[in-house]
Amino acid sequence: MIEIKNLHKSFGSLEVLKGIDLTVNKGEVVCIIGPSGSGKSTVLRCINKLEVPTSGTVIVDGHDIMSRETDINYVRTEAGMVFQQFNLFPHMNVLANVTLGPIKVRGVNRDEADKLGLELLAKVGLADKARNYPEQLSGGQKQRVAIARSLALQPRVMLFDEPTSALDPELVGEVLEVMKQLAMEGMTMIVVTHEMNFAREVADRVIFIDQGVIQEANEPKEFFANPKHPRLRDFLGKVQLAC
Amino acid sequence: MAFQFEPSVVVDTLPMLMRGLKLTIYITLGGLSLGFFLGALAGLMKLSRNFLVRKLAGFYVETIRGTPMLVQAMFLYFGVPMALGMRIPPLVAGILVIAVNSGAYIAEIVRGAVQSINPGQMEAARSIGLRRGQAMLYVVWPQAFKRMIPPLGNQFIISLKDTSLLMVIGVGELLRTGQEIVAVNFRAFEVYLAVAIVYLAMTISISWGLRCLEKRLQIQSR
Repeated sequence: MIEIKNLHKSFGSLEVLKGIDLTVNKGEVVCIIGPSGSGKSTVLRCINKLEVPTSGTVIVDGHDIMSRETDINYVRTEAGMVFQQFNLFPHMNVLANVTLGPIKVRGVNRDEADKLGLELLAKVGLADKARNYPEQLSGGQKQRVAIARSLALQPRVMLFDEPTSALDPELVGEVLEVMKQLAMEGMTMIVVTHEMNFAREVADRVIFIDQGVIQEANEPKEFFANPKHPRLRDFLGKVQLAC
Repeated sequence: MAFQFEPSVVVDTLPMLMRGLKLTIYITLGGLSLGFFLGALAGLMKLSRNFLVRKLAGFYVETIRGTPMLVQAMFLYFGVPMALGMRIPPLVAGILVIAVNSGAYIAEIVRGAVQSINPGQMEAARSIGLRRGQAMLYVVWPQAFKRMIPPLGNQFIISLKDTSLLMVIGVGELLRTGQEIVAVNFRAFEVYLAVAIVYLAMTISISWGLRCLEKRLQIQSR
């Protein structure tokens, strides 16, 4: 589904990604962990070209995002993105946030889009908030709307960029619950997260990125039980201490 | 002979100013509509990824902002026709001057407002597959527009008052009409007071109208 080869990304003279190779299969849930500034979000943002890779290959569902022939707007509908800061559109109500994509990108008519939007809002447990505005929602509700907004394009893969990091602790669960449900339905997911329990429970594979490279990748049981790389051991020790 | 204020002259002058007032309103409305269009265009051009487009808009803003409107008006009305070999009607020249002049300031207002919107909004819009122009139109612009209202109000008021400068190119607007009345009755104090009152009434109306618009937009969240 996603194939990343030798991905490099520099911001000016700062090299953030120093050769990332990652393949994600259909239906797989991959969690990416790592210290802040390690480049894990950048990997995610390179997949739908919100950041333009400096070099390397990124292929999403057969589309080479670096190729001139690729319609990046189409690829973005295939790879839904959920942001740490939600980025809901504050001037539109919840339903309009969800239906904007279907209406303007897919050309779906309003009635059909509303129907789809309400279904998706029901799926994330917010059907009753359809006519509310984002600022009237809690953080967890906002993030669930953002998930519905991405799902409205019927993406083949979902990218989550620290989806719970901006939430109050008691609101984290409701978002993870929705993500868990998506994973169980077979959605291909890449999740940058600090939620170790979520990674342990839901991921098929956990990846540790530090200093711009993948230091370790393994299935979750082994990953958490037997971390091999010393930096990962150190990182897990610190994170678990904090919990 | 001591000066004697005659309030009745002020009252009598007001209806005589109506012809000039009408022209002032035409020029302001025409000039600002065109000016907003020009300003929005130049403001967005300043945010373009294309160097040349950015520089072009920058040149427009710098030259217009850097020269007095009075000079612009005289250049357009007296100077340009010499080069073109044809006269420009004063009203048209007046509207053009207000449009081009206000457009330069509005460009900066538009640019500032658009830049003040969190880049995450553009990213989120692009991430659901909207093209850049669509993302601007449906997501960024409506939010930026709300932030433009107070500085736009300021500019509208300035432009309205600036129409009085157009009397030098023979536009029979409000101040010019007042001047013509003074030429007949020599009551400069009362007549110009009446002129000032009319300007004030119009600027207050603009402030009030924009406040209402702002309130209406504010009902829907930030």
